[in-house]
Amino acid sequence: MAMCSSFCPPQVPNHFRGTTPIPSFLPKPPSFKAFSSQTATASTKDEFPARVGFLGLGIMGSPMAQNLIKSGCDVTVWNRTKSKCDPLISLGAKYKSSPEEVAASCDVTFAMLADPESAVDVACGKHGAASGIGPGKGYVDVSTVDGATSKLIGEHIKATGALFLEAPVSGSKKPAEDGQLIFLTGGDKSLYETVAPLLDIMGKSRFFLGSVGNGAAMKLVVNMVMGSMMASFSEGLLLGEKVGLDPDVIVEVISQGAISAPMFSMKGPSMVKSVYPTAFPLKHQQKDLRLALGLAESVSQPTPIAAAANELYKVAKSHGLSDHDFSAVIEALKVKMQDPPEY
Amino acid sequence: MEVGFLGLGIMGKAMSINLIRSGFKLTVWNRTLSKCDELVELGASIGETPAAVVKKCNYTIAMLSDPSVALSVVFDKDGVLEQICHGKGYIDMSTVGADTSSKISEAITSKGGSFLEAPVSGSKKPAEDGQLVILAAGEKALYDEAIPAFDIMGKKSFFLGQVGNGAKMKLVVNMIMGSMMNAFSEGLVLADRSGLNPHTLLDVLDLGGIANPMFRLKGPTMIQNNYSPAFPLKHQQKDMRLALALGDENAVSMPVAAAANEAFKKARSLGLGDLDFSAVYETVKTLEHSS
Repeated sequence: MAMCSSFCPPQVPNHFRGTTPIPSFLPKPPSFKAFSSQTATASTKDEFPARVGFLGLGIMGSPMAQNLIKSGCDVTVWNRTKSKCDPLISLGAKYKSSPEEVAASCDVTFAMLADPESAVDVACGKHGAASGIGPGKGYVDVSTVDGATSKLIGEHIKATGALFLEAPVSGSKKPAEDGQLIFLTGGDKSLYETVAPLLDIMGKSRFFLGSVGNGAAMKLVVNMVMGSMMASFSEGLLLGEKVGLDPDVIVEVISQGAISAPMFSMKGPSMVKSVYPTAFPLKHQQKDLRLALGLAESVSQPTPIAAAANELYKVAKSHGLSDHDFSAVIEALKVKMQDPPEY
Repeated sequence: MEVGFLGLGIMGKAMSINLIRSGFKLTVWNRTLSKCDELVELGASIGETPAAVVKKCNYTIAMLSDPSVALSVVFDKDGVLEQICHGKGYIDMSTVGADTSSKISEAITSKGGSFLEAPVSGSKKPAEDGQLVILAAGEKALYDEAIPAFDIMGKKSFFLGQVGNGAKMKLVVNMIMGSMMNAFSEGLVLADRSGLNPHTLLDVLDLGGIANPMFRLKGPTMIQNNYSPAFPLKHQQKDMRLALALGDENAVSMPVAAAANEAFKKARSLGLGDLDFSAVYETVKTLEHSS
């Protein structure tokens, strides 16, 4: 990612913008020279968001907001626990004491909350974003919620005259830190185009999928597949170990073949050692599976594999593993569970 | 040095062609003899029976479709056992499960022969491209002797210890693969039913932590309902069944694999057994209409 001196100049508008379906690979700007010439001729201050709000500074929100600040954006933050704002403030972020005030003082406000309840509360609750937002402004909810919640938030926001974009991400802690997230968006196309430069700072690619609900659905489908894959991988590691195979060799064999996935290579070694450093909390994976099962039910689709996987995450939660990495689901299959390790 | 090759199906044919092209002197056998013709054209000799092949060769590789064929090639009249002896090796690269492999191993070694199980990970294209992953276990000396052949047929070989370990490793990998194919199918159907473009789902999946060659290769053909067999569904279901049996013997909990196996069974009952295992997608799609 090229750094820039002035506030958040847009990156080279990639040639995929504005067309659907959007191909997956969006290249980063090829050279700084091209970048700055784009800056000179590109949008004026009115065309891209000068003041950016960020609500929710957890595992994901904090690095995302940091990347915006480091790229020169004018960022105002809020978090339910104020102390989480301190690292951002020391990097130059402003602070407001409610989502309402953040939304009122910014052109575009992002929200990264843990679940549907928090997302609704921050957007529509007392001193919520909807109370401070209005015409000429935009709200981009990057939380992962179900379609109905997203539509509800969207309606409240749009009722004020503001624009709304759902934009849940694929990618966890490290991709957030590295600016390598994948945005799965739906809602107001013009807001999507306005915030595209900001998405390009925080991510490596973005998709505009149409109306509100489509971004949420895509995210849930992806995480449903992921949750099932992790559960299956866990079954394989445990079966192999039980019948006398070296689990590290299992991980190596898998990495050589058709089912080799970065997730297996990255998480396998730590799972074998029964440690689960949190990149994606297990409780959120289970939330996503629950929401995906709800989506499947709403379209009358049986999903036996996802349902079986969901049960394992529920067992893991009941054993105190909610805040561990979702790879801790392997513990749910063990006869004798470890005491939840320190993380 | 003569090397024998029994079984010229989807896998065996591609593997033996690579061996011949690399200069190995091959004697081949297949139950349907006409399948040998292409190999003969490339310079292979034919053995009329498995025993005839073993008689000629220093070691003999077998690539057969399932446990019953693997056993019959060894134990039946004119089978491998009639000619195996000290100084000869038998390398079974079929996927048969630890029990069958042990049975074969005992029979071979009690006649003085040496035995190696060496099931592979990889289907038709990796076989053609010499990119298989070979999971060997058994007689180390025979493994060392076979390395030149393994290096032609595969990109990586593992020696995993005692007989049974190769078979188990293969089943573990294929169990995960079968569950993944089901999870993938559920995702494709849900995307489609939610009004999303399945091709976009493929693009998104390919960018993240769960990107893998199988999704990349099979996704587009599944969306087109093209199930030309690289790995027949009936064999995938066989592997799931064997993996579940292994779990059963060892009291290992495997609810996701059990659910996946049910989907493959359903696919077989719908007559999809000879199609590629990705045809389980059809089962996931049609569950709505099954009443």
